[in-house]
Amino acid sequence: MRNRTAALLLLPGLVLLVVGFLVPSLIMLFSPPGIEPAQIFVRFGEMLTDPYDLRIIGRTVGIGLIVTVICVSLGFPIAYLLARSTSRWSGVLLALAIFPLLLSNVVRTFGWLVVLGSNGAIGQALLALGLVDKAPQLLYTELAIVLGLTQLFLPLAIISCYSAVAQVDAGLDDAARGLGASRTRTFWSIVIPLSLPGIVVAATLVFAGSVTAYTTPYLLGGSSQRMLSTQLFSYSSVTIDWASASATALIMTILVFLVSGLSSLVGRRGAIS
Amino acid sequence: MKVRRPVASALAVAGYIVMIVPILFVVATAFTGGETLRFPPEGVSLRWFEAALSYEPFIGALVSSLQLAVLATVLALLVGVPVTLAIHRGHIPGKGLVEGLFLSPLIVPELVVGLALYQQLMIGLRLDNFETLLIGHTVLMLPYAVRVTGASLALADPALEEAARGLGASPLRAFFTVTLPLLRPGIFSAALLSFVTSFNNVPLSLLLQSRDFRTLPVTMLDYVQQSYDPMVAAMATLILAATIVVAVIAERTVGFAKIFGGINR
Amino acid sequence: MSIAAEFSGVSQVFGDFTAVDSIDLAITEGKLTTLLGPSGCGKTTSLRMLAGYSAPSSGTITIAGVDSTRTPPEKRGLGMVFQSYALFPHMSVAENVGYGLKLRRVPAAERQKTVMETLDLVGLAHLAGSKPKKLSGGQQQRVALARAIAIKPKLLLLDEPLSNLDARLRVQMRAEIRRIQSETGLTVVLVTHDQDEALEMSDDMVLMRAGRIMQQGSPQDVFRGPANRFVADFLGYENFVTTADGRAIAIRPEHLEVSAATPAGSADGLRLAGTITDVAFRGVDLLVTVDAVDDSGASVRLLSDVRSTGVDTLAVGDTVTVGAAPGRLVALAD
Repeated sequence: MRNRTAALLLLPGLVLLVVGFLVPSLIMLFSPPGIEPAQIFVRFGEMLTDPYDLRIIGRTVGIGLIVTVICVSLGFPIAYLLARSTSRWSGVLLALAIFPLLLSNVVRTFGWLVVLGSNGAIGQALLALGLVDKAPQLLYTELAIVLGLTQLFLPLAIISCYSAVAQVDAGLDDAARGLGASRTRTFWSIVIPLSLPGIVVAATLVFAGSVTAYTTPYLLGGSSQRMLSTQLFSYSSVTIDWASASATALIMTILVFLVSGLSSLVGRRGAIS
Repeated sequence: MKVRRPVASALAVAGYIVMIVPILFVVATAFTGGETLRFPPEGVSLRWFEAALSYEPFIGALVSSLQLAVLATVLALLVGVPVTLAIHRGHIPGKGLVEGLFLSPLIVPELVVGLALYQQLMIGLRLDNFETLLIGHTVLMLPYAVRVTGASLALADPALEEAARGLGASPLRAFFTVTLPLLRPGIFSAALLSFVTSFNNVPLSLLLQSRDFRTLPVTMLDYVQQSYDPMVAAMATLILAATIVVAVIAERTVGFAKIFGGINR
Repeated sequence: MSIAAEFSGVSQVFGDFTAVDSIDLAITEGKLTTLLGPSGCGKTTSLRMLAGYSAPSSGTITIAGVDSTRTPPEKRGLGMVFQSYALFPHMSVAENVGYGLKLRRVPAAERQKTVMETLDLVGLAHLAGSKPKKLSGGQQQRVALARAIAIKPKLLLLDEPLSNLDARLRVQMRAEIRRIQSETGLTVVLVTHDQDEALEMSDDMVLMRAGRIMQQGSPQDVFRGPANRFVADFLGYENFVTTADGRAIAIRPEHLEVSAATPAGSADGLRLAGTITDVAFRGVDLLVTVDAVDDSGASVRLLSDVRSTGVDTLAVGDTVTVGAAPGRLVALAD
């Protein structure tokens, strides 16, 4: 392929990327209408010290970490069992784990309203069992957000872990067993270390997804449990505070870039050793 | 029967419950005969399905969403497939950097992209909200087009094109008779992923909505906030059914795991 | 001689497929036993049942006099070398070899000593710190062997250990494994589909087919006296004829003589008239194909290995006599 042909093929894509993504994002982050770049950094600094903003950042990062830990600790066993199973059901179960990725977040999150709402399944069940006098408020809590985000990102964790475990030769499990390692020991000393790159990818995807997700904190957290994403939306369409919106967007973007950078660093070190 | 790995199995069961059970509750409440989102449902009826299908905002939004998803997918492929070809078959300097650039919309939070386009294109350049949405969705789908078709192009032996050329095909003819057919599964996967992703997108569509043009997920989100009746459950169930159809098509044609294998690095 | 391990009426059934069909087999202590047969004959399945990786559908497996049929692999104390070697890629050579010792809570100093001794035995002490990926196929194979030996196993199990090596290395490693076996006095069970490997290495040879044992014995006994047509065929007996009284006879190609003379009446041994249909030059010898009719009246295609010196006279279409001395005729059971 000639250089001119290659350039011609790239051109439309580059234009779209620059005009429809890069330039607007950079201007929005650093110089929104009527705002000096310095103002954004001032606001950025304030957010990192102001107790109200800090609580939102802390909640976002905290929930992100909890969801990451849960998704990896549920997703890895699922991936491991599916990758090692010889049953014909494992294909069906794998498809069932991937399927939610195709399904709208709104549909998936909406389910929790039915489960956790005051007229929902859990509340009514507790009432019927006589364990409580009044259905407890489970919605608009951090627990609700954690559950919703776990449901959302578990499939991603499963896929990443699955492709990692599937690459670990099952013969290694056999070899370790033959040398005297129990199933548990084999799992921790062979399977886990060798699938670590996949686990890191899974954790990164889940964390980045959790700290930027909008639908779930909006529906399940409401206005009482604000996260960075719901806060960003409110700055940009309710209060129209461009400086705060840009500073919030900056924090979110930095968070995601930080984890991605960190994980590729870990990945690279893993590849060397 | 003895469970071989009790701890792992228990965790796996918990995982599947969290993933699947809420969806089942949506379906169960959609068939309720009662007035509210209550569990257990009061009676069985199809009234909320009728309500959802005759609720103009939902149907209008559904049409908008479909239009947007189809257009964005076609555009993303028209722009993205040539980019893939240039990256994999051309000798462009800084190949890795160029590919990284086209994948970058995956890393930046969608809500941030939405805000940027809202502020710079819709307010700044006074673009129509549909035009802005189309640009946004296309940009967001570009990484899928580049990565997924790239994966199948990487598998195709460049010697095949050379062989076609040796047999007398012009470069263009070699592309259309050899390369493109080899890319078909990749393009199909990319199209499916793009369509589904665009159709389901909330963060980008949220800020870019207008009274005349709103996507279905955004409309449903608004509706949930205003009223607490099972009509959204019915609409959600319809979306679920359509998604199952798409999933079955995906599984029968290219295979589920393959499609998603493409986006996992 | 005592028995190191024993299969009694062991079967393995996967769905409608019977991989191993009620076999009885004794493994003699301190000997090298090979399970030999074509792919799908059940040899690897038998080895995996012995190692504990799959439980038999029926029957019992006894190891060192103890019923171990349901014992998990980690409790059996056997050393296994896998076809793929299955070296742990995240551990160094020394860590691989020391893994089993660590599990047995051998103190670090002693572990280190055993690891180095074992690596010495396989000639790889200088690579103790390397990662398996950096090693050649032959070196990886030795590490796998060292790892299995280091735990002083009751039995050393080798699953097609040489099949991933090139031809020259394979021949070297045969002698190497024999040396290690005699130095350590280990009981070894080796699975292979290569008859040369089995003949050269075994003390005891077990020929399998379709999940059953066809013959067991020393390489000499089995090679010279195959019990049935399958064993004879597998070991390179190319010629099968039936005598006038209905006995089945097998003859190796190198024992079948071709001459231009006409058959001289009745004689001892075998003597048949035939026509040459192909002559293939193979360097030292010629492979001559002769179509003939045996004493039972059946058409047979016979192969003869003839020294290539001085027989340039054989040509396709010639009418010839093929024959073999009485001592060269091997009577088959079926």
